[in-house]
Amino acid sequence: MTEDLTPQPSRPERPPRRRGSVAVIVLVLAALVAVLAVTLGDATLVFYEVDEAVEQRTELVSSRFRVVGTPLPGLVETRLDGEAAVVFTFCASGVFADVAHVGDPAELFQPGVPVVLQGSWQAGSPPGLAGLSTAANDGWFLRTDHMVVKHDNDYRTDEERTADIDACGVTG
Amino acid sequence: MTNPTSSVATTGSPGSRALGLATLAGLVGLLVLAFVLTEPDVRIHPSTGQEIGQFDAVRLLYLHVPMAVITYVAYSLAAFASAGYLIKRTPWWDVTAHAAAEVGTVFCFLVLVTGSIWGRPVWNTWWEWGDVRLMTTLILFLMFVGYLALRRTAADPRVQARRAAVVALVAIVDLPLVNRSVEWWENRTLHQKSTLGELKIEDLTLFTLMVGFLVFLMVFSWLLLHRFRVGWLTLAAGEHQVAAAIKERRAEADGSGVASAVGETS
Repeated sequence: MTEDLTPQPSRPERPPRRRGSVAVIVLVLAALVAVLAVTLGDATLVFYEVDEAVEQRTELVSSRFRVVGTPLPGLVETRLDGEAAVVFTFCASGVFADVAHVGDPAELFQPGVPVVLQGSWQAGSPPGLAGLSTAANDGWFLRTDHMVVKHDNDYRTDEERTADIDACGVTG
Repeated sequence: MTNPTSSVATTGSPGSRALGLATLAGLVGLLVLAFVLTEPDVRIHPSTGQEIGQFDAVRLLYLHVPMAVITYVAYSLAAFASAGYLIKRTPWWDVTAHAAAEVGTVFCFLVLVTGSIWGRPVWNTWWEWGDVRLMTTLILFLMFVGYLALRRTAADPRVQARRAAVVALVAIVDLPLVNRSVEWWENRTLHQKSTLGELKIEDLTLFTLMVGFLVFLMVFSWLLLHRFRVGWLTLAAGEHQVAAAIKERRAEADGSGVASAVGETS
């Protein structure tokens, strides 16, 4: 059997699959927008300043949220509901709140270093509060279980950079 | 047509070898500056009198920050070259875009890794899901991984190049979000604001960071040059294979007398 080697007309070119490409691009964009919307829309991911958390306590009382502030000098190691905890006073813009952090604190955690805590408001006073000279002692405290350190962007020499530290007017 | 793979044994040239050597020397110098000569980040808190700061972890920033900036450069170049391809439709733009995207993805991966290693001691976490800077960077990385995956599909090279160019232009939309996230969503990220933007850096620390930018720009240029040449040679080799196959078929047809047979049947 002889193979037909006669040149054949080329197959008609398929029209470009524009619809498919457009659909893929739309899907990718939608996924990008969805991830960003979830990231930006999740209220638990917002860092409330301590003064905002105190001001909005009635709205936040039943929610878990993140709060950023500076621990003041004076840490009390204690136990809360059978777990190791550290109790301290938290501050931002001159507003104080008491905190009982359950679990291991961050390695670089110490008074004067801003941290972001995750937890919720609880009515009452945490154990060991009497040992804090700067306690807010307002009948509420933040019970938190997640702590990360928020570092600043300052790499200058001591004289210039220490001037920017928010110490809430408290000296050690 | 000459076989490009036989006439060029390497993607190197005297210029690229000189650049490579200078880059190696620069890397050594940067590592000495970052890990030996500069001081750890320590300051005395004005209220507590205790030492605070990032301590030795700060040394990673001399690598992390320049690599992040080079990632921006690489992905911007990939997007620019992709736009160039969509306008000009010449392989030079496509090969440039592909090379820049590939090298940029290596840098972006290293940015994520060094950031994570730095974050563990300084932030107390390897990764924070939902952190805007981290998430937008991860999205950027994944979109360019998708771009590179697309480049490996078995589509017609021109179709593949066109699709990849569109993906690069879509992915680059995320770049300003990554860069500005620390300003626009300050209360949704652990990541600090730009230090250079506010000039909160000086002396040897600033010098080392500048050396880092220069050295990683050299690393990027060297990698880009070689990746471009690999891409260009791959393209030329593909064309050479097609030309050789056509020549082979013609020789077969001439040798077996098929041409005359074709003439008889037509």
